[in-house]
Amino acid sequence: MVIVLAALTVLQDDFKYTLNDDYRNCSPQEDRQSHFCKKVLPVVLNLSLFTIYLNTMKTILFSITVSTLFVAACNNDSPKDQASEKPSSDSTVQAGIKDRAATTGTSIDGLLNDYMRVKNALTKDNDKDAAAAGNAMAKTFASFDKTSLTAEQAKMYNDIEEDAKEHAQHIGSNAGNIKHQREHFETLSQEMYELVKTFGAGQKVYYTNCPMYNDNKGANWLSETKEIRNPYLGQSMPTCGSVKEELN
Amino acid sequence: MGLLIVVIVIVVIQFVRPALNQNGQILASDMTKVYTMPDSVKAIFETSCYDCHSNNTRYPWHASIQPVGWWLASHIKNGKADLNFSEFGHYSKRRQLSKLKSIASSVEDGTMPLPAYTLMHKNARLSTEEKMLILNWTKKTQDSHALKIK
Repeated sequence: MVIVLAALTVLQDDFKYTLNDDYRNCSPQEDRQSHFCKKVLPVVLNLSLFTIYLNTMKTILFSITVSTLFVAACNNDSPKDQASEKPSSDSTVQAGIKDRAATTGTSIDGLLNDYMRVKNALTKDNDKDAAAAGNAMAKTFASFDKTSLTAEQAKMYNDIEEDAKEHAQHIGSNAGNIKHQREHFETLSQEMYELVKTFGAGQKVYYTNCPMYNDNKGANWLSETKEIRNPYLGQSMPTCGSVKEELN
Repeated sequence: MGLLIVVIVIVVIQFVRPALNQNGQILASDMTKVYTMPDSVKAIFETSCYDCHSNNTRYPWHASIQPVGWWLASHIKNGKADLNFSEFGHYSKRRQLSKLKSIASSVEDGTMPLPAYTLMHKNARLSTEEKMLILNWTKKTQDSHALKIK
């Protein structure tokens, strides 16, 4: 009985991001089900279980059933969101990037494309897709054509590539550990930002900030859309963030 | 019969030994020389991290027995590929900062030192104070060496 109550309390801790409503842009867009699961249900459950505890042995069976239902109901949130979301942004990214001819020498299209795949996977809390994209990005780095880089571009590129490639590899080998993937994604985003500043993106790219990630230390990412879809907080707070800079 | 085969295999693999990771010197590129580091922090890195993350591993007696020796060698190889304190000075500044960040996050969430390692090396276990020393040092070093983005 105590164990069940303790377990329910721990589950409630996982939702701490959504309970912080301070930041003006970051009011969580919870649908009714999330709100019910995350705020109402735990309290109701804890209270009702406690009152029932005062009665019989049937409590044990009852509380196991109820907590299973609770976990089942609340863990069904993300798959539902994923299924109903159309992957239209991915195909837009592909079309947008491939349409442009690389007019100014070497372009970083391939890298940017892979980066966006990682980013979009993280917005959907999909660690497996993020890992696949991370591995693809590491390959793109390995096969990048450096022959037509100017000396200055080469210096900048090599400096970034040495580190960024490793972050892509680490994202690739950490399916199952999205927290770790996001840590590497943070540094990777900074490095992609610098690459875009040096080489140009050839399309509109939005340098966006999330203020709450990592105990409010905040982090940035590059997006192909102005619409905010947060890769650091994923489905727990998808619209948290603001565009800091528009890049070409 | 089966047991005899197992015994023969065990004896044979004893003759296949991995090369030892030993260098005997502290290189100029060692991280303890790249940054200002108090002795207390240096001692923690050397005791808890250097066996897998440097060019100098202190091997225990059981490392001479196969397949344990090969298992250790693979840990050391992977550890050095990810982070080698002995070669730290040769990394680009950017990579050095990334490594500082990784050190901090691995120590903070307890994934490093590896539980398999601290199981056998009780003195490598990080106490709360030792963790704080490492985290404070990495934070301070990251801040004073941060890259300025134009």
